[in-house]
Amino acid sequence: MANPDGSGEVAVVGVTKRYGETVAVKDLSLTIPHGAYCCLLGPSGCGKTTILRMIAGHEMPSKGDIRIGGTSVLGLPQIKRGTAMMFQSYALFPHRSVLDNVAFALKMRGAGLSERHATARELLAKVQLEKFANRLPPQLSGGQQQRVALARALITNPRVLLLDEPLSALDEYLRLRMRGELRRVQKELGITFIHVTHTQLEAIAVADMVVVMANGHIEQAASARDIFVAPRNAYVTRFVGGQNVLCGVVEGVSDGTAVLTSRQGARLAFPIDGRQPARGAELYGSIRRDRIAIEKLPAGSLPPNELNAIVGEVHTIENQGSYVKVTIDLGDEEEFVAHMVDDEFFRDPLDIGDRVVARWSASDVNLLDDGLNVRPAMPMAAAAS
Amino acid sequence: MEDKRPWTFYAFAAFFTLFVLFLYGPMIVIYILSFQGPSGGMTFPLNGVSLHWFEALISQTRVGDIAGSFQRSIGLAVLVAVITVVVSVLAGLAFRRRFRGSAFAFYFAIASLIMPGLFVGLGIALTFRLLGLETSWFVSGLGAQLTWTLPFGLLIMFAILGRFNRSYEEAATDLGATSWQKVREVTLPILLPGIIGVALFGFTLSYDELARTALTAGSENTLPLEIWAMTTNVTSPTLYAVGAVTTIVSFIVIVIALSSIAFIQRRRALGARGELVTATE
Amino acid sequence: MTILDSTASGLAAAAEPAAAEAADEHAINTGELASWFQITPLMIILALFFGLPMLVVLAVSFFDFDRSDIIPAFIFDNYTDLFRSEVTLRLYLSSLKFAAIVWAVTLILGFNIAYFLVFHVRSLLWQIGLFLICTVPFLTSNIIRMISWIPFLGRNGIFNQALEGAGIVNQPLEFLLFSDFAVVVAYVHLFTLFMVVPIFNSMARIDKSLLEAARDAGAGRFRVVAEIVLPLSKTGIALGSIFVVTLVMGDSFVVRTMSGGQSASVVSALQNEVAALQYPPAAASAIIMVIIVTLMVAGILRLVDVRKELAG
Repeated sequence: MANPDGSGEVAVVGVTKRYGETVAVKDLSLTIPHGAYCCLLGPSGCGKTTILRMIAGHEMPSKGDIRIGGTSVLGLPQIKRGTAMMFQSYALFPHRSVLDNVAFALKMRGAGLSERHATARELLAKVQLEKFANRLPPQLSGGQQQRVALARALITNPRVLLLDEPLSALDEYLRLRMRGELRRVQKELGITFIHVTHTQLEAIAVADMVVVMANGHIEQAASARDIFVAPRNAYVTRFVGGQNVLCGVVEGVSDGTAVLTSRQGARLAFPIDGRQPARGAELYGSIRRDRIAIEKLPAGSLPPNELNAIVGEVHTIENQGSYVKVTIDLGDEEEFVAHMVDDEFFRDPLDIGDRVVARWSASDVNLLDDGLNVRPAMPMAAAAS
Repeated sequence: MEDKRPWTFYAFAAFFTLFVLFLYGPMIVIYILSFQGPSGGMTFPLNGVSLHWFEALISQTRVGDIAGSFQRSIGLAVLVAVITVVVSVLAGLAFRRRFRGSAFAFYFAIASLIMPGLFVGLGIALTFRLLGLETSWFVSGLGAQLTWTLPFGLLIMFAILGRFNRSYEEAATDLGATSWQKVREVTLPILLPGIIGVALFGFTLSYDELARTALTAGSENTLPLEIWAMTTNVTSPTLYAVGAVTTIVSFIVIVIALSSIAFIQRRRALGARGELVTATE
Repeated sequence: MTILDSTASGLAAAAEPAAAEAADEHAINTGELASWFQITPLMIILALFFGLPMLVVLAVSFFDFDRSDIIPAFIFDNYTDLFRSEVTLRLYLSSLKFAAIVWAVTLILGFNIAYFLVFHVRSLLWQIGLFLICTVPFLTSNIIRMISWIPFLGRNGIFNQALEGAGIVNQPLEFLLFSDFAVVVAYVHLFTLFMVVPIFNSMARIDKSLLEAARDAGAGRFRVVAEIVLPLSKTGIALGSIFVVTLVMGDSFVVRTMSGGQSASVVSALQNEVAALQYPPAAASAIIMVIIVTLMVAGILRLVDVRKELAG
């Protein structure tokens, strides 16, 4: 192996991948620490699978470098990279028994029959499939096949396990169970997992580190918690869900708070974390769906003239069990969702078409980069003059 | 309650049955007539039942060299099947990558497939003549048949490879297989049912080939050429006996091929029961 | 012929998006080398036994000849003789007539059989079984299938016996065997499968819910077929038509046997010339035929894009 001490730190350095005219990945850099569970999250076509396949050695970057454990692996055959891949379809060889599938890598290496079967059996025991050793893969259920694929990938003692949409072929129930299982195995082995998915909750649930991608570049790479509570921009906020995007024009700044007017005329307050947005600039923020209080607006009463209170019409109501998801139509394109605790909702249930006020506290608002990027804050001197 | 089938189903079923009768009826009739009694003629009624015409097939020299041409045809068909499998599997694999000249290669093969067979035979015969070579079933005849079976095999390979999941090969490479190990341990075994299909087509297309072989077989006939000659000068049920025998050979080959494909597919779908399977080497 | 163009490369693109990139500075062209290596045996065999011989045919079509030999030359006599002869026109009309009739009959049969198998047969096992029943005869000898019509259609054949027995006719019908009728019957018998298989393949890809949606929208059975099934299976129809038309146009054996020598086709006339060792006129006739068949195939391809079908 290129790196005998087996550090599974994966570094993607300035990588571009072109297919003819199309650019799948644009000058992308990313470092995944050793032993991390990293999710590459994004809609289909965002380049996440291409990144995974370049790390695996199934694709070559058009430009840039890929390093594992500090050493470039470009040009190395797959087996020398210390990576192993679990395919979306599992790609279990249909003509070989479960045991022979798991033992395949050892056979390629030239190990004897008894040795490789003994090792393969140990791994099958780890995923509780010893009983099925002599079955052929198509005879197993989806969840069992996935465990075989895992065992087969692990037999090479990889430092990095690459998982391409590993849960997408399973039904809802198994998906939830298996993602916990994957997380457990990763902790147990202590190796790096890189998991590609388009499901936000899956990424948040399993990963230490989530990389949100769009159009071949990274929108945000952060811990799962930060991705959820402090998304960096409107794209990440909308894609990850869990928060609403707010937008307004800056009226004034005082005490680390900017006061804005939204397009609907509501007045918003954002904490600005030491930044200096200019008056008249458009600023974006996000507010968690579960930090919003909803109150019915009696017919004929005027909208409140207070900060962080907006009026809209109830558009949809979905009962999620422990909470109720209420979508409010604010008269613009942006989806605005509030999660109400079930007890609170059912004390005085809302109806579709009700006019309501949504309120939240300014300290819960998370400032987004978008407005700041588009119209960067003026330099101090210029602002002062 | 099972939902009722529309009346059109029964109309179509009747139509289909008629078509199957049309397809098989005449063939079945000649198989029956091949057991015609020694004094019987080319059509019904049967004047007794006998193996007379089959015996005539072997003994009678008047009908020509049936036994010899049969042997040649079987030998040629096996040769064609083997070459077709090797060459069209290789060519099919080549088309999985884009390469300069791939469009030309594809058109060339398609042109060879739809070119009227007699023209190909004429061309080969003329070429051999101009080069001062003797035509023979195992050189010019073989080549003529390959211009038809290879493109056919290639099209079948396209269909097979179109359904083949690339991840199998990537998984094999991940697990340390060299290119050769990958092909031997993964690609070919997974494609095996399709490859048997290619062999079946190679064999039967050769075994029954007439137009391309007619001008290229040289002095010794293949079986279809022998039968073709018989149609013009044999007016006894011997002709039917030949037909029955060749068709039985075809059927044996078809049954062997289809049942081995079915066996592999079943094994993959259901597998043998649990622990009874010994690990495959 | 740009329609077929992307077929082979389409397969490559679907199978391996990456390896083809010239932009990949890391990917040395080992892939392309391997492909060339893999395609070489096919190309060598086809070049020797198809490419070269067809060039020879082209060359010989300009040759001179006498009773026993062909004489290298560059003359157009073989072509001018061909165009001057009235026989040529008659032969082409005869071949085209057979092609048109057989095409129409096999299309109707093939479409309906495929429709039945795809949309009426519900169990997959039955579908495979019935499909095999249609396919198996294709794998048996064409001549045997052809001669199997002799005891059926002959003057004292089963058909006439049945008709007479039923009192429908007093005298046996003469036109059954050794006639154009017999030729068409044999062609249909031999070639219908070439229509069934491609149409079956394209119909099998039609999402059944499309038909249900059309029915929900109030379309009757016939409208469903006309508006949904027919347009979506036209690639299969085109492919089947190419097979049937080229097979009929290129045939000489069926027309000879089944017409008892009374009808002729372009190719059977060519075969006579070959038998008389008149190679150059035969070669010229072959070249003209190839041009005409190519034009017909190109015409079909112009109407329908068959790319999806072949790549499938």
